[in-house]
Amino acid sequence: MNNNKLTVSHAPFWHDGDSLFQMNLNIIIAALPAIIFGILQFGAPALGVIALAVSSAMIWEIISNIIARQKQTIGDLDSALIGLLFGMMLPATSPWWMVIIGTLVAVVVGKMIFGGTGANPFNPALVGMAFLMLSWPVLFDFDAAYVSYDVNYTALAPLAALKSMGAESISGVFATGDLIMGKQLGAIGSTFGLGLILGGIYLILRGYVRWEIPVSFIAGIIICAWAFNLSDPTKYAGPMIHLFSGYTLLGAFFLAPENSSSPVNTIPMLLYGFFAAVMIILMRNIGLYSDGTVLGILLFNLANPLIDSIRPKALGKGVNHA
Amino acid sequence: MIKRSFFTLTRPKLSYDSVEQNPKKPESINIPSNLTLLLNEPLDNTKKLLIQKGDSVEKGQKICLYSDSAEYVIAPVAGTIRVIDAYIDALGNTSTFLVIKNIQTQTSDTKAKTYDLKEDIASADRYLRNLPGAPPFKKLADNKTKINTIVITCADADLLSTTSQYIALNSMDKIKTGARILKNIIGAVKICITVPQDLNIQGEFDSIQVFRTDTTYPSNLPAMILKNHLNMILPAGKTPEDLGVCFICAEAAASIADAYETKSAGAEKIVTIIGKQGTRYRVKATIGTPLRKIFDLFSIHINDQDRIIIGGPMQGISTYSPFHPVEPGMDTVIVQDRDEIPEICDNACVNCGKCVRICPANIQANILVRYLAADQYEEAADKCDLESCIECGLCAYVCTAKIPIYQYIKLGKHELKKLRAEA
Repeated sequence: MNNNKLTVSHAPFWHDGDSLFQMNLNIIIAALPAIIFGILQFGAPALGVIALAVSSAMIWEIISNIIARQKQTIGDLDSALIGLLFGMMLPATSPWWMVIIGTLVAVVVGKMIFGGTGANPFNPALVGMAFLMLSWPVLFDFDAAYVSYDVNYTALAPLAALKSMGAESISGVFATGDLIMGKQLGAIGSTFGLGLILGGIYLILRGYVRWEIPVSFIAGIIICAWAFNLSDPTKYAGPMIHLFSGYTLLGAFFLAPENSSSPVNTIPMLLYGFFAAVMIILMRNIGLYSDGTVLGILLFNLANPLIDSIRPKALGKGVNHA
Repeated sequence: MIKRSFFTLTRPKLSYDSVEQNPKKPESINIPSNLTLLLNEPLDNTKKLLIQKGDSVEKGQKICLYSDSAEYVIAPVAGTIRVIDAYIDALGNTSTFLVIKNIQTQTSDTKAKTYDLKEDIASADRYLRNLPGAPPFKKLADNKTKINTIVITCADADLLSTTSQYIALNSMDKIKTGARILKNIIGAVKICITVPQDLNIQGEFDSIQVFRTDTTYPSNLPAMILKNHLNMILPAGKTPEDLGVCFICAEAAASIADAYETKSAGAEKIVTIIGKQGTRYRVKATIGTPLRKIFDLFSIHINDQDRIIIGGPMQGISTYSPFHPVEPGMDTVIVQDRDEIPEICDNACVNCGKCVRICPANIQANILVRYLAADQYEEAADKCDLESCIECGLCAYVCTAKIPIYQYIKLGKHELKKLRAEA
């Protein structure tokens, strides 16, 4: 009697074919237009920073897994994505040690000590960023970073200029079209607005980013900045400069929707995106920092478990007519 | 296997298959020389068995293990008992299997034993539990709540299956007769019938209420029919019977009609077989026929590491033996090639929320799976609605991290039951 050894497992016996590798790969692909533009604009140093950020992030994950005696999880590209997003937020002239320290904090403190992929309460790339920004604020002065570059557009970082000079004196200096097309000083992956928007739309269509978060995030930026602008146009800039400069679009499409640190229910997603954006504009207009994206999103990562408890009632819960 | 489409702005849709236009008659398979019957009662060495190896049985004879047994099987053929042994099912429950050597000729002309059938629930429960389609007479006889609605399901609950639709198309009159008999037996007030939207069924239904069901999974599951058509919400942890609603499949209704007409129990079950390339076959096999015989009939070759699924792709169970017999409730058998089997991982949940958005019962599966992975079953039930799950399997189907969420949920429900029984 030929008795085959069959595979026995539990239902469901189908899967839609998606995987963590696919998801992270798609996010990396979506980020490429903005990165390639940054490399073309800022040259080889930008490529160096991105490559170092990705490779060091992956190495930190391997080391942490060896120390923690866990199986290697490098294959799901999660750390590669963290490194990539982290590199996108750095100026092209960042020194090597800063990149390596940043990815150490991002991967090890931001992700691995919480238990690895999926367990991080904060966006790991932002944890690394916040650490660097608070420790070496001088390195994030984009005007100083690119002082040796010769560009054919206004060689000013828009948000820093806005902070130091006020809205009135920079009005007309930054045309919205120029900002969208990347004619501004900034981090490697954050200047090319059009590329970020295209990448974001790709991710939304592929189902890897929940549309509620970017949409409410952008709405929050526009509404809050517009309200400030109405109250005092000489002091506060209009919504367009806020939307297309700094880390705003990167935050809307790549940082805020990070799976593990953002809500999953509809109303919480809308609240999360909107209020994270409001917090960013508050920091920019009233706070100390010229760009509050990093801290604004981190703050609402913290609120995620709380606001995600606003959820629809489960079927048959609290029904007692049986 | 239906894969995710390239663009998935909305959640994925899984559609029920509809039965083909003018379906062919099912292939008949000769009654094999040995039939296996599963009896849902474990062997007990302290008690004296009523049956012995070598005993001869009549076609239609009721077989019990012990004098005080509540469980029985009906012999589908005349023959002799060759084996009585313990059987462990996929969930680890112990029961018994019997092998009967068939001594009747290949034609099924042998007269089946007739019963003294009356139109009451006790009589039906005494003889008709093993009818093709597995009518839930045991549950109905035990049930404390009065059943006032019967729902005959001509819409198959799981994907790929078309058995119920085929029977609805071919034996609607018998189903209606069966429904009327059921109404008398149970004393129900209302009879309803579910028919898939795109199934073309003509004829009068008289007092039977017809529900046209949607073609998107999981709209044919009992909880969804209650919600969409009967305006009842199934309370967490309850069964439809607790609400006074009983679901009976089309084949059971048709075989009840036959049984009351002939005063004997039928033993021929219609099964939809899905081969490795997704080819659909339909077969009429005697209950107890090993699946292997059916695969041979359709030249489906079973290799090591393939998977044989009893039931649909979302809710079925996989068996460990190609000799698993045809059972009364077995509508579909799927053979999955080893290269087609999707992998399962022990990844942690990444909180992407696909399961939450697809869940028809609004369960926070992303949080629930964390409690279940940590064996916190009571908390899972209190905080994350473990018992609201209607067991459709969609969460695990879409899981990016390939976590077996549905398996965690079934295990959680099982453990919770055990915990509550001990308390």
